[in-house]
Amino acid sequence: MERITYRELRSTPKVWGVMALCAAFVGAAGLSVLYIEHHGHIVTGMNNQVVWGLPHVFAIFLIVAASGALNVSSIGSVFGKMAYKPVARLANVLAVALLMGGLAVLVLDLGRPDRLVMAMYTYNFTSIFAWNILLYTGFMGVVAVYLYTLMARGVDPRALKAASLLAFVWRLALTTGTGSIFGWLVARTAYDSAIMAPMFIAMSFSFGMAMFMLVMILTTSITRRVYSPELRTRQARLLGVFVAAVMYFVIVHHLSNIYLAKKGAYESWILLNGGVYTKLFWIGQVLLGGIIPMFLLFHPKIDTRKSYVLLAALLVVLGGLAQLYVIVVGGQAFPLEIFPGFEVSSSFSDGVVNAYTPTLLELSLGLGGIALALMIAGLAMKFLRIVPENLSDDNVDPSLLAD
Amino acid sequence: MTQLPTSTEKKLGLVIDLDTCVGCHACEISCKGWNTVEYGAPLSDMDAYGGDPSGTFLNRVHTFEAKAEGCASQTVHFPKSCLHCEDAPCVPVCPTGASYKREEDGIVLVNEDKCMGCGLCAWACPYGARELDQMAGVMKKCTLCVDRIYNDNLPEEDRIPSCVRTCPAGARHFGDFADPESNVSKLVAERGGMDLMPEQGTKPVNKYLPPRPKADVNGTQMPALEAQSEEITGFLGWLDRTLEKI
Repeated sequence: MERITYRELRSTPKVWGVMALCAAFVGAAGLSVLYIEHHGHIVTGMNNQVVWGLPHVFAIFLIVAASGALNVSSIGSVFGKMAYKPVARLANVLAVALLMGGLAVLVLDLGRPDRLVMAMYTYNFTSIFAWNILLYTGFMGVVAVYLYTLMARGVDPRALKAASLLAFVWRLALTTGTGSIFGWLVARTAYDSAIMAPMFIAMSFSFGMAMFMLVMILTTSITRRVYSPELRTRQARLLGVFVAAVMYFVIVHHLSNIYLAKKGAYESWILLNGGVYTKLFWIGQVLLGGIIPMFLLFHPKIDTRKSYVLLAALLVVLGGLAQLYVIVVGGQAFPLEIFPGFEVSSSFSDGVVNAYTPTLLELSLGLGGIALALMIAGLAMKFLRIVPENLSDDNVDPSLLAD
Repeated sequence: MTQLPTSTEKKLGLVIDLDTCVGCHACEISCKGWNTVEYGAPLSDMDAYGGDPSGTFLNRVHTFEAKAEGCASQTVHFPKSCLHCEDAPCVPVCPTGASYKREEDGIVLVNEDKCMGCGLCAWACPYGARELDQMAGVMKKCTLCVDRIYNDNLPEEDRIPSCVRTCPAGARHFGDFADPESNVSKLVAERGGMDLMPEQGTKPVNKYLPPRPKADVNGTQMPALEAQSEEITGFLGWLDRTLEKI
């Protein structure tokens, strides 16, 4: 058993090729932002009824996944599964990179992104949004300290433990804050539920682990490094458990909504008659993002089938985007019930499902966020010693993996 | 920190009489006109002359069908703008404190210089009364014509919200709900003025006077309300009486 060594990625055409591809997406997103800023939000699909659209779906996905990616590191440092420790550095860097990608999308899609500074010196402590600004920026600082304790020599193990515990608690608070944006929206039928916060925590575990595994598989493939099949299998099974946890929360959420008379119409709409939202829920979120990944991840031969892991992680990401689309856009598309029980008609979207068709500009901005996150993580891997060079089964003590 | 005031000295707001509103949209157009001319930035319009026009309006007239038991169904026109709620959910959610409620008169406003257009207040408002101006990138809403009602440069009769000044049916009334002797308080007391969606607990200041059934299922007309206007005299009075006879 060798000592785990970390090396910067070597400059190869494949490494720079991936970076160039990411840069192209980031560039396209930048152009989209300029176009939207010049012409106003009217060139997007968003309107007064659907004020948050596709960019927010990507932004929230990335923010939630950031918190979950850090979990890979916490499993080693907080929960004592030392076999996860070799990938802790990458998990920390990826967590910050994903958060940066998500925040970039969120900020650039504001009505006035230039006014972001307002949120820093005219701060409203009663706003859950304002709390999240602290939680997001604080997350980066806490993870930076945690990363330092992981990478620096001669750090007291108690300092590492304390930093990892703080980061773990912070990430729980961060995802609780993100979920509470929706949980505290009393005015909308689709939200107003305390289960949103724990559901978002489960989603973060799932999306973050999936993103981590995709990055790990991609990185080790293009750099010809080893990703211990034993560790990969363990992480894959854990991902399966996280996917199941998300499904559990989704089921409980919808069942409890169905029990409430005031939410019955919304549930009937989203589960049965919601058109694209219903399809996204059943096909995107449940089938592609839940059932098929679980089938793959709990397959008896998952240990020898890297392709199963890759496919499952990809499906979890796509299913996660579908889930957030249903939550964010579907919740707004359902009309406000100002006159319950009356036939309502007007030229202002009364009583009808609010229309929203995402534009290419919005898709470009969202994909740019993912590309930016990958680019930041890639640059960190290129210049920092965070990716293990010899993460083979022989170097991962199986006894440390055992439950 | 932006917090809602526990109480306000005045409670300025509107009473909208759904019994007399004829759905002419004059209040909407007048509001748009005043705020486009006098506002810091115009309320933008998009594709105004195209196939799919849209724009920013601070007041919109909705229409729905209502049918009380034993009565014929009727069309009700329902003007809706910000209700200047006492417990306004749009205020505490604003991350920059751009959204606020004035302690002196209870008007809920947006400081557009502080608004970054995140849209969370639009989510929080159960009435859908907030509008993100797509061109300006900031949230806009009814100001209760704060730039009219305290404006000493205007004739006194014009120091009321533009929509109230314009309404040809006299369906809109402006006043202070904190004063039980005000015109609006009396109207609400006499006609059973009600809150919009009281179950939300936002305690809207604006009130609606409910539409009365116009006829029963047999077509029998209901008695008219007592006339609010004074008897017209002179030439116009003679003309009115003459036309009534035709």
